[in-house]
Amino acid sequence: MADKDDDKIDLSRRGFLGGAGGLAASGLVVGAVAGAAGAFAVATQSPTIAAVAADAHPFYNQPHQAGIQTEPQKYTVFMTYELTTSSRTDVQVLLARWSAAIAQLAKGDTIGSPQPTRPDAVAQDSGEALDLGPEGLTVTLGLGPGVFDDRFGLSARKPTLLEKIPTLPSDQLQPEYTGGDLSLQACANDPQVAYHAIRNLTRMARGTAATLWTVTGFGRASAGPSQQTPRTLLGFKDGTRNIFEDSDLEKWVWTAGDGQAWMKGGSYMVARKIHMNIETWDTDAIGDQQNVFGRTKLEGAPLSGHREHDTPNFTKKDASGDLVIPATSHIALAAHENNGGVKILRRSYNYTEGIDDLGQIDAGLLFIAYMNDPKHFIEMQTKLGSVDRLNEYIKHIGSAVFAVPPAPKQGSFIAADLFA
Amino acid sequence: MKHAISHRYRRLASAISVTASAALLLSACAATGASSLTATDSSVAKVVGGASQVKATLKTSGSGDVCALNSTSAKAGPVTFTITNTDSTAITEFELQSDQRIIGEKENLVPGLAAVSFTVTLTGGKYQVICPGATTESQTFTVVGKAASTGNGSVQEALASGITGYTSYVTQEVNNMVSGSIALKNAIDSDDLAAAQKAYAEARPYYERIESDVEGFVLPGFKPTDNAGNLDYLVDMRASNLDPKVGWHGFHAIEKDLFQTKAISQGTKAFATELVANVKKLDELSKTLTYKPEDLANGASGLLEEVQTSKISGEEEAYSHIDLVDFAANIEGAQQSFAYLQDGLKLIDPALTTKITAEFAAVTTLLDKYKDPSSLGGYIRYTAKVKAADAPSLSKAVEALHEDLARIAEKVATA
Repeated sequence: MADKDDDKIDLSRRGFLGGAGGLAASGLVVGAVAGAAGAFAVATQSPTIAAVAADAHPFYNQPHQAGIQTEPQKYTVFMTYELTTSSRTDVQVLLARWSAAIAQLAKGDTIGSPQPTRPDAVAQDSGEALDLGPEGLTVTLGLGPGVFDDRFGLSARKPTLLEKIPTLPSDQLQPEYTGGDLSLQACANDPQVAYHAIRNLTRMARGTAATLWTVTGFGRASAGPSQQTPRTLLGFKDGTRNIFEDSDLEKWVWTAGDGQAWMKGGSYMVARKIHMNIETWDTDAIGDQQNVFGRTKLEGAPLSGHREHDTPNFTKKDASGDLVIPATSHIALAAHENNGGVKILRRSYNYTEGIDDLGQIDAGLLFIAYMNDPKHFIEMQTKLGSVDRLNEYIKHIGSAVFAVPPAPKQGSFIAADLFA
Repeated sequence: MKHAISHRYRRLASAISVTASAALLLSACAATGASSLTATDSSVAKVVGGASQVKATLKTSGSGDVCALNSTSAKAGPVTFTITNTDSTAITEFELQSDQRIIGEKENLVPGLAAVSFTVTLTGGKYQVICPGATTESQTFTVVGKAASTGNGSVQEALASGITGYTSYVTQEVNNMVSGSIALKNAIDSDDLAAAQKAYAEARPYYERIESDVEGFVLPGFKPTDNAGNLDYLVDMRASNLDPKVGWHGFHAIEKDLFQTKAISQGTKAFATELVANVKKLDELSKTLTYKPEDLANGASGLLEEVQTSKISGEEEAYSHIDLVDFAANIEGAQQSFAYLQDGLKLIDPALTTKITAEFAAVTTLLDKYKDPSSLGGYIRYTAKVKAADAPSLSKAVEALHEDLARIAEKVATA
């Protein structure tokens, strides 16, 4: 609702709050309604100070949806949905409403008024993100394989590579964390901003789609190009060799559409809920932990080198003839050198959900990765699930795959061409 | 829905009937009908196929999102508003109002979807086009001349006739509640446990269908904060929300004796006698009720709130487990309110009316699964097992209905 006046861009925090304050105040403005009998007042919005916040990501007219190449924000709320409608139009309207709402939220604006003027009106926006600003919010929308089953007449529009992920070695998937017809990945630098987005978008879906499973990530576990590699809850740096370069993303992340024009410039998202056996890991000796990862704990250097970003040498042997980086270590199995050069873009978050029914800490990693062929994940995880030494300390309990369409043009919505 | 107390006072205090205010409105419109506009003004909408055509475009501009009308006036008669959202994300609603009442509305107007339109018959006067979220939210729309029937007039007539119907529905339910509680008392007085259980299950739905209308009553001479004078407390309070100063009374105190203790005591008989007396007071007080359309809408929404907070959780009938009987009665009561608003609402927002009708059908279809003529009250017991298996799907179906039902009050409000 803030004005978009390019001549008056004010990037300061103060400037943004000024704009938001103006917005809040305008809800209280009592405007005279010409010609209307009675005392009913309609809020007339006074033009507010132009404010485009520095931490706002543009939504329209981008080659790809935000939240993929975007430098990972600190927090996420990830939600999956099952479509409860059988109407194709309902799905179309939901994607259109979500798109317009995400565009508002990404600017730090509300979705409708949190305080409508009429006493019998129901507020459209719950309001808990008021005055917090955009906080780098991105909401990335995905379409699961279910969108293309026989319910909506869209089966001919299915990207060929979008298939349910089969059960992989070591999978201990729980039905309550598996699958989904739609997904929303909200990431922000304020957890309340991400939460507010998901809460209000979920409400918007009522009657069309219902919540299926969700993970709230409290800490970033992947890095962008200017960020330090963060640590997972196992205390080790993971994802040191994440990809950032446009050329890598062109080659490994963005799809040409797989026969579907509406997917051109999109990607596939694989989400895995990975539970960690925190208690047993914490009592494992450091030497063993480092062999499990193939890296040192503090520096995060491959065991064959000294610095974090040293290229691992997977053939180097120690004096007794053993590989310095064990062949069954996590990095040896996941490295692109040992996977036919395949790379994926990781965008994971640490989560905790309190205490499980055994009285143990219930925590782990919401693994999120983007790729232009879900097979890249499937092949890598087949290998990891079979022999990774880390399997002793983790279990994959949730899994889903989504087609992530490109960003919409202004005046349109995500996946609009799917319905054309 | 405890805030209904404030609604109660407003409703009881209201001296203006809906019919009267509708009549006032029509004359007000006619009085402001004089205008110097002529059909040659470029701002006057063109008439095509018997209806004036007004185009509204929602768009973003350098200084905020705007709702642009190609005509700001029309000749009296049918007027069609066609709304296109070019690229505004801040504006998703378009309303036509007359004297604070919504007489036509379109929602979910987001970029990328096809244009939508609605037609209303308008007589001379000033109207307001409201686009929430626009830099200028309210614009005046002028109609010149006279039309036989106005959109607003017919909406108000339809709503007023709905209220007459709903008023007699409530009266009938409260009357049945009196006979139902007398039957319960008689079964208890004759020490027949099985008959008393049956009578309990049969008496419950009358209250559950209309509880949002009657729950705010405070007996004369009592403060609103004193539960000893709160009829809803005395009739329907659950063990989980007892006020220690006032103790337990009413249906659920009887329920515990009949279904957990499984014995009728002198105490049970005293509860039953008191219940009949209180339900009779409720009957008297309910005759003083008058309703506005928004009361029906808020009441329906309140009944769904009851379903979500105390029926799906199994809290309401903690001993008899006939929660599904209450659930069905809450839904039925909400459906009655909606049915009586439907004719008026249809003129304001036909899409929403259709959607809510379908959502009610989805909930009742879901409930039909649990029908069992041999069970108390006609529904299977809501056991822990049923709850564990089905509560999420029941809750989601009600949630979808509730979300839309909650939006009616504003649309039918008489302000």
